[in-house]
Amino acid sequence: MTLYQVVFYLLAGVVLAATVLAITRRVVVHAVVYLVISFLALAPMFYLLGAPLLALLEVILYAGAIMVLFLFIVMMLPRETRAPGLGVLARQCWPAVLLTGISLTAMAVVLLSLPLAQTPVTAALASPRHFGRVLFEKYWLGVEVASFLLFVALVGAYYLGKSPEPVAEEPGESS
Amino acid sequence: MIVPNGHVLLLAVILFLLGAACAIARRNLLMILIGVEVMLNAASLAFIGAALKWRQLDGQVFVIFIFAVAAAEVAVGLALIVYSQRRTGALDADAYSRLKG
Amino acid sequence: MKILLSLLLFLPLGGSVINALLGRVLPRRVVETVACAAILGSLAAAVAVFARAWQSTYYFVILPWVQVGSFAANLSLYYNPVAALMTLMVTFVASLIHLYSAAFMREDRDYVRYFCYLNLFVFAMLVIVLADDLLFVFLGWEGVGFCSYALIGFWYDNPANADAGRKALIVTRIGDVGFGIAVALCFFLFHNLSITLINAQAATISPVLITILSLLLLWAAVGKSAQLPLTVWLPDAMAGPTPVSALIHAATMVTAGVLLLVRLFPVVSLSPLALMVIAGVGAVTTLYGAGAALGQRDIKRVLAYSTLSQVGYMILAVGAADIIGGMFHLFSHAFFKSLLFLGAGCVIQALHEEHDIFRMGNLRRLLPGVYWPFLLGALCLSAFPMIGGFFSKDRILLATYLQPGLGYKIFWLLGLIAAFLTPIYTMRMTFLAFKEQADGPAQADLKPFPRLMTWVLWPLAVLAVGDGFLNFPGGPGKDFLARFMAVVPGSRPDLGASTALEWTMGLGSGAIILAMMALAYYLYGRPGKAWAWPGGEGVLAWGFYLDYFYQQVLVKPYQALARIFWQDVDEAGLDRSFGGLAAGLLALSGGLGRWTTGRLSTYLAMLFLGLTLLVSALAVSWYLW
Repeated sequence: MTLYQVVFYLLAGVVLAATVLAITRRVVVHAVVYLVISFLALAPMFYLLGAPLLALLEVILYAGAIMVLFLFIVMMLPRETRAPGLGVLARQCWPAVLLTGISLTAMAVVLLSLPLAQTPVTAALASPRHFGRVLFEKYWLGVEVASFLLFVALVGAYYLGKSPEPVAEEPGESS
Repeated sequence: MIVPNGHVLLLAVILFLLGAACAIARRNLLMILIGVEVMLNAASLAFIGAALKWRQLDGQVFVIFIFAVAAAEVAVGLALIVYSQRRTGALDADAYSRLKG
Repeated sequence: MKILLSLLLFLPLGGSVINALLGRVLPRRVVETVACAAILGSLAAAVAVFARAWQSTYYFVILPWVQVGSFAANLSLYYNPVAALMTLMVTFVASLIHLYSAAFMREDRDYVRYFCYLNLFVFAMLVIVLADDLLFVFLGWEGVGFCSYALIGFWYDNPANADAGRKALIVTRIGDVGFGIAVALCFFLFHNLSITLINAQAATISPVLITILSLLLLWAAVGKSAQLPLTVWLPDAMAGPTPVSALIHAATMVTAGVLLLVRLFPVVSLSPLALMVIAGVGAVTTLYGAGAALGQRDIKRVLAYSTLSQVGYMILAVGAADIIGGMFHLFSHAFFKSLLFLGAGCVIQALHEEHDIFRMGNLRRLLPGVYWPFLLGALCLSAFPMIGGFFSKDRILLATYLQPGLGYKIFWLLGLIAAFLTPIYTMRMTFLAFKEQADGPAQADLKPFPRLMTWVLWPLAVLAVGDGFLNFPGGPGKDFLARFMAVVPGSRPDLGASTALEWTMGLGSGAIILAMMALAYYLYGRPGKAWAWPGGEGVLAWGFYLDYFYQQVLVKPYQALARIFWQDVDEAGLDRSFGGLAAGLLALSGGLGRWTTGRLSTYLAMLFLGLTLLVSALAVSWYLW
């Protein structure tokens, strides 16, 4: 029982618990907070699996930016829409439970029977320098495209988020 | 020597299915998006685990892209949610049933 | 010769076709003339052929018909003395009946259809008479069956008439099955369907097969000639117009069965068992017909049962290996029976469609032109000594008596009893219809009818009476008919009876017949109330309940079965199951339609479902490998 193993299973437990709690909350803010916890627990796991930069980015980008954005929007929306009552109802979750159960069984069965899956992972670390080099040398096009994608998202989000302008009162004038 | 490969992947699978269950079972649009985020994270975990196994950095590079895409998607998705909430006044997924046959 | 024979055969067909195509646009007189002229032309051709051919035989092929693999059938004709006499008889009687029909159907609007069918019928009958190839005979066989159905059910507006026509067709059909099997068997045995060839080669086939073939032919004859057990259609067939009954059920169709057996007699005669069965059928039917005729009230039904009885005599003759006697009686019967039917038709029309003899009367005084020919015909039917039917019936009974074996003696006895019943029912009918009745019809009640209808009775009467002299046992013209037909294979001109036996039988039967006629006069002919059966005429009137028996045993179960298949299987079972299937599909599509909810959650769930299915498939195939 190495330290790595203990840490891994501990972190795995935290991630799973936090995720389960997150998806079963009736109040959206609670769910978001639990999700942040889950991501924060996932970050050390990334580090454990040899991706320190990504662990960092997980915290900064994901938990720090994306989830915060979530919180902003949740706060922005009117109170009634965030009210409980839109939670999980028993009769609504049976398809999800059923399908999840079946898929889980199937995938677990396949995964755990692979001989490949039995072999243990040996630890390694990818230095950020090395990572950056690979990213910008081999996948530079992807980086450029990703930046373009982000730009488009920015424009779209701006346009969609604009407050509706007051409609002109004169007849015959199109909006 | 950390854990068997299968366990990492299993963790990713469980996380993915949890996210899928959330997307299916919840009617609040925000919760559906949260489910999507969980799924994306699970996929990232799987990639990193695979990168470690095969000693290739390509897996980790893909995770960066996942982050970028997730960010863009969340931005636009939330903007859409706000917009549609302003238009229809409801955040209930069942309220958007104009495509009913 | 070829041309004459072809004319003889096809003129009636031509008449029928012309009337069928143009009958509606031509005036009535023209239609009738075309029909009668066709038959008269046929008669002229028959006389011409007869004059040229005399006793010789003639065979020719009109054209090849069917050629499939090793099976070949031709439209071929075989003309021999039997065919010669039959064509003369058929065309002569048919032409008289056509003339009679022109007058009888004068008030009917469907005369075109009538004359078409009548001509077509004569054509089909001539085919049976002349044809050499069995398939050609079958064509004519079916043709007469169809025409009789069409003509019996002529006034089809009344469902009873249509039922009678259907009954005739179906019952004769049952006999035709025997014919079909016989044709197939002939082809199997002889590889050829020509009658001449079959007759020549018959001796080479094993006796068992010959017996089977003969019995099949007998079955066909039983159907067409209305012998037991297929007699039930003939009494009901009286629903048709009277000239139709005269032609079809006196002279032609019912004799077709006898004719078939006679044409194929070399085959039939090789099997003693078959001959015995044939004789038995004939004898029993004879007695059955005579008995049932005693109880009938409808004048036409009396004549119908009488026909059954007389055709039974012809069949009995064939069974006694005396085809000359059978043909002799066939000719006698044709003349006097058609005479009686036509006379009955005059009476029926005069009395406004009255058929019941117990309601007739006074006609001797009121319709003398009908009375005298009718009386002559009745005397011939009763076998009054020295005229008409006496000699032919006598010869048949003699032939039966002379055949070896106890069975034939029994058949002789049955035939004899029937011969004694015949005068009773015949004179009963005659007396009741024509004698003086205080409460009978008067001159004013009669409906006038054309003189033509009585004129045609006379040639028939003359022939009926004089027919006996065709085969007079002694004097000039002795055994004329027998000698004429001697060239026909299987005929026995001389029966080999001793003169003493002949005279004894002749005198004895003549005396008893006269006694029976006196009895009939005593019961029915005296002025005043006619004698009635003590317990009513039930059994006899209903034909010994044979029809009723068939109805209960065959028809009702069949109809019940059909009803079950219709209502329970078809409607309830099939229709409802298909309806249920359709409803189920509708329900299924309705159920499926509920998936298009338009809601996001549903569609997301469907996505996940697809994923689950893929993964499960992967897992399953993983393990199956």
